[in-house]
Amino acid sequence: MSDAHTALDAPSAAPGRWREYALSAVAVAAVTAACLLLPDSYYLSVGLIYLLAVILLCLRVGRGPVLLAGVLSACIWEYVFIPPHFSFAINSLQDSLLFGTYFVVSLVAGQLIARIRAQAETERLREQRATALFHLTRALAEAKTLDEAVFAALRQVDGLFGAQTSLALAGEPGARLVPHFSSSYVLEGADLAAAEWVFHHHRSAGRFATNRPDGTGYYLPLVREDQAIGVLGVKMPPDAALSFSQRDLLDAFARQLALSVEREHLRAASEREKLLLESEKLHRALFDSVSHELRTPLAVINASTENIAEGNEHLRAELLNEIRTAVRRLNRMVENLLGQNRLESGLLKARLDWCDAVDIINAAVESTRDALDGHRLQIVVPDDMPPVRADFALTEHVLANLLLNAAHHTPPGTPVILTAGVEAGDRRVFFQVADHGPGFSPAARERLFKKFARDDTVRSTGLGLGLSIVRGFVAAQGGEVVAGDNPGGGARIAVYLPHSPPKAGALP
Amino acid sequence: MTQGHRLRLLVVDDEVQIRRLLRLALETAGYDVYEADGGQLGLSEAAGVHPDGIVLDLGLPDLDGREVLRRLREWSQVPVLVLTVRNSEDDKIGALDAGADDYLTKPFSGRELLARLRAILRRAQPAAEETLVQLGDVEIDLSARLVRRAGAEVKLTAKEYDLLRYLAQHRGRVVTHQQILRELWGANAEDNTHYLRVYMTHLRQKLEADPRAPRLLKTESGVGYRLIEPA
Repeated sequence: MSDAHTALDAPSAAPGRWREYALSAVAVAAVTAACLLLPDSYYLSVGLIYLLAVILLCLRVGRGPVLLAGVLSACIWEYVFIPPHFSFAINSLQDSLLFGTYFVVSLVAGQLIARIRAQAETERLREQRATALFHLTRALAEAKTLDEAVFAALRQVDGLFGAQTSLALAGEPGARLVPHFSSSYVLEGADLAAAEWVFHHHRSAGRFATNRPDGTGYYLPLVREDQAIGVLGVKMPPDAALSFSQRDLLDAFARQLALSVEREHLRAASEREKLLLESEKLHRALFDSVSHELRTPLAVINASTENIAEGNEHLRAELLNEIRTAVRRLNRMVENLLGQNRLESGLLKARLDWCDAVDIINAAVESTRDALDGHRLQIVVPDDMPPVRADFALTEHVLANLLLNAAHHTPPGTPVILTAGVEAGDRRVFFQVADHGPGFSPAARERLFKKFARDDTVRSTGLGLGLSIVRGFVAAQGGEVVAGDNPGGGARIAVYLPHSPPKAGALP
Repeated sequence: MTQGHRLRLLVVDDEVQIRRLLRLALETAGYDVYEADGGQLGLSEAAGVHPDGIVLDLGLPDLDGREVLRRLREWSQVPVLVLTVRNSEDDKIGALDAGADDYLTKPFSGRELLARLRAILRRAQPAAEETLVQLGDVEIDLSARLVRRAGAEVKLTAKEYDLLRYLAQHRGRVVTHQQILRELWGANAEDNTHYLRVYMTHLRQKLEADPRAPRLLKTESGVGYRLIEPA
């Protein structure tokens, strides 16, 4: 990239031009002095030597100095070398032809060579420009963020023009200009005024420009679709000039930058749009399931209380039972909603303490007893199960949700197996709930742990928060949830928590 | 319960329906019930009525329940049962540390409420010299430091016995891990809850019919233990 950072030549600086004329004069003088040493009769060779000098000069100097050298050498040759010496008169016709031809050839050669040189120069500039733009585009494309892109672009301008650069952007179309942090000088005074003017008029201004030339920098607008989105400023050293091609290059830079900035704006806008859409969708899902899930138990309670006064003893007991079940269901739902809220608010902090795995399992089974009714629950915990370092309440909630899930998604009468143990290697403990139901459909597994995700291919109840909470609560304890198929058919969800055996030794 | 006069309970809760329900349940159970709908009023009622026990909601609009507890404890040792909707262990432990005797999480059952109240009110009774505690088929002879289950003596280590005695003296009430550790091993043992798990497992193996599903020595999620009095 270093090649792109070499400063662009300023091809037509005034002092260089005078040096070239001087060089031409000196060269002609030197050749003349050398040729004076030759015998008089060599005057024809002297003409060829002059021609050689003019053509050599073409390689070093511009068109004007070559012209000067041609005219000067022709005059001196005629005056000094062609007989009669020290006179502009020519004796023979041959000498006249010779002199005329020399004059025309030296001028034409000078012209041709100067044109070739000019073309080469243009080519070189074009190539430099293309390289600079290529490097800019690459830097912009490689940048991961807009800030990174802007930083890379400004440093490139710094290097290319030997200048300081500044960039001010409007956060969104129509907003005020805000200086970008990667600017290498601060916009103030006349410069700030020029930048503001550029921003509002979409035309360049400042030094080298016709508008507002009082600033020390040159300012170009970044424009996309008739909207100014920012201003690029370049502050060159006081003695530097800004050539047309440099101006052109700066314009190209500004266009590229504007493109990048606009792309970033569009990306941000579409991101916002997507988030909004997503959250709207979630809200709708929440409302749908909450209204359904809340209404069902409420309807049960309502109907039960209406009938409870009139019923006989047996019916009354039945209805009371229904009410109790409905209340537990409502309660669990509220717990899950609160749990999800705790997860999302970021306030969830696990309180790790040594827990008895059986205690946790008992508590979870206790709170889901009614839902598990009708399933054969098997609990498998090894006798030497060590104390587990976990948050009791969170883990209880996790196991309760897993048990409820198994109960809801499997036919009555099928077994639900809750296993706990220490993984081989003593690094993790696990709790696993397996069932003999239909298992996960591939589509369901995709979104298993998403909020409000419910497997629509099976009859299911619940808010669809269960597994999302399971994962959140387990993650809060530094653990991991793995869902898979039960080897004997059905689904299996395992929760792994980090484990380190407690310090050995007993308290006194 | 003592005969002679009915015990007076003060219910502090801002929800009128909860107050009505509690009044119904408590009066049916033979208590006199006084009500306050806020923390400030609750404190002044407590000073005026001198209740035998207080049922205090933690989520009061005017004064945080814990603050009510703190101010109450400056001049009174009346037993307090805290009601909380917050199913957070920190809240429960915070209330217990601030001087509550026990807690109950809403929604709760009336039976649970009465059992908890009985347990905390017993603490306030002038302690009748109690030498024998009967818990189902488990009998603790405090004077002889003996434990029998179904008539047969159960061998307990000194620490196991201390743990059981401490729980029995607070039976029906929650005791936090920290309280037990402080009581049995001193203030600097408070981090060693895993030892407590081990002792508790041993106790359950020796005293419970099914140690996997304890009926006597219950775990209170994330808070501590509770020795249940069989009804």
